[in-house]
Amino acid sequence: MAGQSDSTMSLFSSEEIEFMAEDEMTEIVPNLRMDSLNFICGDYGPFLPQLAAQVPLWLALALKKRGKCTIRLPQWMSVENLTRVLEAERDSHAFQPLPFHYIEISRLLFDHAREDIPDMYMVRSLIEDIRDVRFHKVETNLEKFTASTVTWKNMSAMEVNVIRAFAGRALQAFYKHDNEQQTPDTDRAQDKQPQSTY
Amino acid sequence: MENYNEIDDILAEEEFVPVVFQKAINGVKIDESTEKGYIEQGSKTELPFWLARELHMRQAVSISVPACFNQKTRLEIQADAACVDLRSRCPYFYEFGSKLAPLCDKTIGLLLPYAFRIRYKKILHKAHAIAFAAASKFPTLLTREETSLYEAAQSSMAAFKKWRAGGPRLQRASILGRKRKPAE
Repeated sequence: MAGQSDSTMSLFSSEEIEFMAEDEMTEIVPNLRMDSLNFICGDYGPFLPQLAAQVPLWLALALKKRGKCTIRLPQWMSVENLTRVLEAERDSHAFQPLPFHYIEISRLLFDHAREDIPDMYMVRSLIEDIRDVRFHKVETNLEKFTASTVTWKNMSAMEVNVIRAFAGRALQAFYKHDNEQQTPDTDRAQDKQPQSTY
Repeated sequence: MENYNEIDDILAEEEFVPVVFQKAINGVKIDESTEKGYIEQGSKTELPFWLARELHMRQAVSISVPACFNQKTRLEIQADAACVDLRSRCPYFYEFGSKLAPLCDKTIGLLLPYAFRIRYKKILHKAHAIAFAAASKFPTLLTREETSLYEAAQSSMAAFKKWRAGGPRLQRASILGRKRKPAE
């Protein structure tokens, strides 16, 4: 509790969230022959040229940087799917289901695997649009909330992290004000007690 | 709800409140210029809240409404709470108000959540919309509690923008850039 109340920053930095996102699985097509890799987090491979394999994103990026594989674009990052999500996002009030780390994954892929993404500019601008629409929704939701129960489905890691510090403090403030409003009488009774002794 | 070691709590109790003495008190002066060594019943002065509360408990003084909760401020808050300059009136508006409400005027307790709800919405929009608003006048109107909210939103938004823009991944320690002092 003490750590929460006095920290000015949010609990995680954006870089830390990106680090967590690197554990998501992606499909790669290696162009080398390599035995399976045994890590603490699991065994990956063996890798054979032109045979797709599932690896965590960090491993995919490491191989990609050395030119040992191409990364297959995840299904949800296709132009058709993103267009559909964007439309649904605009029409409906709720958040559409997207991967929990969609902002981070897409940014990592744009940075390191741009030649593996067909219609790179289209995909990028679609994701930007989706992010903007969703953030606007987050803001309208924040506007409505009070100290009662809050349920928002399908928010992503980065969206939660951006509002974490603000929302935490706002809830604390609302809670404080609501409590004060309800219990002025008991406060007063406590304050008056010493009177009898003097 | 009191927090003895909280600096904001201590500072909030430093605010002055107007009081009227209900008893004559010997051995104290509220005005250096007078010859009298006592306070008459019914004399008025301003005392810090922590002292006024103790005296109020002993029924020595009655507390009246301080300037930051007077009728004029209330009307302004009812007109448009988001535009009222609360910082210049009282930087601990909410904390001070909630402490004061049971002692002098219970309607203050209703005013506080009302003002906060409206100002909260404005803070929400301003803080997230203008990411790098250095010249904005808005933050100067906020109380301490609201400023911490505003800054929390601004800093996490700025951190996110910085991450998205990319840039150097490794931060250089500040000590590395310095040159060594030449030995004399």
